[in-house]
Amino acid sequence: NTGDNGPEDSVSAVKFSPSSAQFLLVSSWDCTVRLFDVSANSMRMKYQHLAPVLDCAFYDPTHAWSGGLDSQLKTHDLNTDQDTIVGTHDAPIRCVEYCPEVNVMVTGSWDMSVRLWDPRTPCNAGTFTQPEKVYTLSVAGDRLIVGTAGRRVLVWDLRNMGYVQQRRESSLKYQTRCIRAFTNKQGYVLSSIEGRVAVEYLDPSLEVQKKKYAFKCHRLKENGIEQVFPVNAISFHSVHNTFATGGSDGFVNIWDPFNKKRLCQFHRYPTSVASLAFSTDGSLLAIACSYMQEQGDVSHPADAVFIRQVTDAETKPK
Amino acid sequence: MGRKKKKQLKPWCWYCNRDFDDEKILIQHQKAKHFKCHICHKKLYTGPGLAIHCMQVHKETIDAVPNAIPGRTDIELEIYGMEGIPEKDIQDRRRVLEQKSQESQKKKQDQDDSDEDDDDDEAGPSSFQQPASQPQAAYMPPMTQAGMHPGPQAQGMPRAGYAGVHVNSLKYMMPMRGMMPPGPAMPPMMPGMPPGMPPHVARPGMPPMAPAAPITAPRMASRPAVPATQSAASKPLFPSAVQAQQTVLGLSSTTSDSPKVTFPAYTQPSSTPSVAASSSTVAKPPATVTSKPAILTTLIAAIVLLHPDEDISLEERRAQLPRYQRLIPRPGQTAAAAASAPPSGAVGGMIPSQQVIPPQQPGMRHPIHGQYGGPPQGMPGYMGGGMPPYGQSAPMVPPYQSGPPGPPMGIRPPVMSPGSRY
Repeated sequence: NTGDNGPEDSVSAVKFSPSSAQFLLVSSWDCTVRLFDVSANSMRMKYQHLAPVLDCAFYDPTHAWSGGLDSQLKTHDLNTDQDTIVGTHDAPIRCVEYCPEVNVMVTGSWDMSVRLWDPRTPCNAGTFTQPEKVYTLSVAGDRLIVGTAGRRVLVWDLRNMGYVQQRRESSLKYQTRCIRAFTNKQGYVLSSIEGRVAVEYLDPSLEVQKKKYAFKCHRLKENGIEQVFPVNAISFHSVHNTFATGGSDGFVNIWDPFNKKRLCQFHRYPTSVASLAFSTDGSLLAIACSYMQEQGDVSHPADAVFIRQVTDAETKPK
Repeated sequence: MGRKKKKQLKPWCWYCNRDFDDEKILIQHQKAKHFKCHICHKKLYTGPGLAIHCMQVHKETIDAVPNAIPGRTDIELEIYGMEGIPEKDIQDRRRVLEQKSQESQKKKQDQDDSDEDDDDDEAGPSSFQQPASQPQAAYMPPMTQAGMHPGPQAQGMPRAGYAGVHVNSLKYMMPMRGMMPPGPAMPPMMPGMPPGMPPHVARPGMPPMAPAAPITAPRMASRPAVPATQSAASKPLFPSAVQAQQTVLGLSSTTSDSPKVTFPAYTQPSSTPSVAASSSTVAKPPATVTSKPAILTTLIAAIVLLHPDEDISLEERRAQLPRYQRLIPRPGQTAAAAASAPPSGAVGGMIPSQQVIPPQQPGMRHPIHGQYGGPPQGMPGYMGGGMPPYGQSAPMVPPYQSGPPGPPMGIRPPVMSPGSRY
C-alpha cells in the first residue's frame, strides 16, 4: 500500500498529522523517517538517522520528531526539509510523543529516563529517571503514562515533574508492550506480549479502580495448540473512545472498552502488526505490518503500511 | 424478591428481638429506639454512628446501645436494619423461630390434651431442636468451604492482578467485588437450598474441590487456573470473539465451570456477577458443562507464546542483531558490552561462535530484500556526518544458514504455566 517508496525494512511506528488525515509519518528500521501523502499514495519526504528509528511524532503539521537506536532526537522541518538534532539520550530512544496541553515533546529511552523538550527552541526541558528501561508511553491531557521494563507503570504530571504522581505495576503478568491513553483521558489501555490487554483508570479512588479489567486477545487456537501473540500496537479513535489493537498474529481488532465488546476484526494481515494509528478525524486507520523478529530471522512477507478507511459501524460503540 | 436467599426471616431487631413486617419499619424503629442520642435526640443510623456523635458533639462516651436487651448492647457492631447481624445470631434466631413454629404446631395438635401435656411440650422443643440443627450443621461445612474458596481466590486475584480475563457482564461493573460476596453470602444461601434440592446438595461437595484445584493446587498452576475461572465469564463479554477466545488453560476451566453451573439459580444479582453473567448472557456454559471437560482437555495440548525472550523487548532483541549493531554510533563500543544482558540474547558479540546458540537465538542470516543496500541511500540532507560505510560491506555475516529446526524458534511449550512472573 505504500508503494515503491516504502520503507526497506520493518516499520516501527506510524503517526498521522494532527491537522490532516492526508499525511502520515512512518519511521523504520531502515533508518529513515518518511512522510507519506496517503491520498495520493506517494512519499513526500524522507530523512535519515544513523541507525534504525524506533518512534516518530508530529509536533505540529510541519514538524516531525523522531528517535531511535542512534540515541539522537531529531526534528525535521517538513517545509524546508531540514534536520536538527535536538539532543540525545544515553541509550536508544524508544518513544517520542507530543503533549499539546503542556506544549512539550516527550521521549522515553532504554537509558531509563524520560526527557522533555521544548519544541519551539528546540531544547531539553528536563530529564526524569524511571525505574527501568522505557518501553512505551502515552499522553493523557497533561499527564504522562510511562510503561517500563519490569512491568512498571508510572503516571507523571507534566506540569509538575518533581515527583511521580502514581506508581503502579502492570496488572498483566507479562512484559508490557504498549500503553495508550483513552481519548477522554480517564484511563489507559495496556497490552502485553502475552495476548492480553488491560483497561485501567487513572483515578486512584476505590470505586473507579474497581472498574478496571483485562481480557485475552490475539490468540489462535489450532491443532490443539494455542498460540499467544504479543499485542504490539494500540490506537484510540479520536472521537468514539474505542480502540484498535494489533498483534503479531496479524490481526487488528477494534474494541469498545466501556461496553466491553469487540466491535470488529479485520481480515488477517500478511504479517505482524507493528503499529497502528487512527487519523485525527477518525476516518482512517494506518496499519503497519512488519515482521518483528518474533521467531528470529526467517523469511517473511514484505513490510507494508495499509491505510484503511474505517466506518462508524466498525469504530462506534453500539 | 432479590434478597430471599439471605433472609427468609421476617425483619427483626437484633438489639431488642422485636419482629417487624418490613425492613423499613425496622430501621425506623432502630433509629428511634437504639440510635437516638439521649442528649440532643438526634437520630443516627448505626450504633457506632451514635457513639461517634456523642463523642464529637457532646464529648460523652456511651458504652451500650440504648434500649437493648442484655447481650445485645454492643455499640461497636455496625447493624443497620437486617444488615450486619452476626451469622450466629441469625441462625440462633432461625432456630428459635423454628422451635416456636413447631411448638405452636404441637400445641395445636395437643390442644385437646390436658395440662400434663404441657410438660411434654417442653421436652418437645428440645428434641426438635437437635434434628433441626443437624441438617443445618451438615450443610455448613461444605458451605463454609465453598465460602472460603472464593475468598482466598478473590484475594489472590487482586494480588495477582488480572492474570485472567475479567470481563464481566455489562450489567455488573465490579469484577473483584463480585468475588467477595459469595464468601459470606454463600453460607446463608445454602441452607435455603436443601429443601427439595438433593442433587444440588450433593454438588456443594464439588465446588470446594473445584476451586481448590486452582487455588490450593500448585500456586503456579493457580495462575493459569485463576484466569481460566474468569475466562468462562469472559466469553460472553466479547461475543463476536467467543469462538476465538475460548482459550482455556487445561483442566481448571472445566472444574471452574461447575460452581458456575450450580449457583446461577441462587446467585443474587449483586454477588458473583461473573456467574450471573455467564448464565444470563450466554446460555451455553450451563448446557455444555458436561461436554466441556471432554472437549477442552483434548483441545489444548500446549500453549505457545510467540515472543522469544521475556526479559527484553522485541526491539531490544532486534537491535542486537549485527546488521543494526554496526549502525549504532558509539565511542569505542565493545560488542560484548552491547549484547550482554539476557543470557539467551547476545547475538552481537558471538558471531564467530554461533554454532552454539541456544535454540531461541536464530543463528542464521537470511539476506532480506535489499536490506544491505538500504543505509547508504538517501544521504542528501543528512546531518551529523556521513554514514560509516558499513552498509557497503554487505555480507557481513557469512551466510550462515545453519538451518534452525522446522518449528519456529522461540517457542517454549508450556510457557503459560508457572514460574517466571507468577
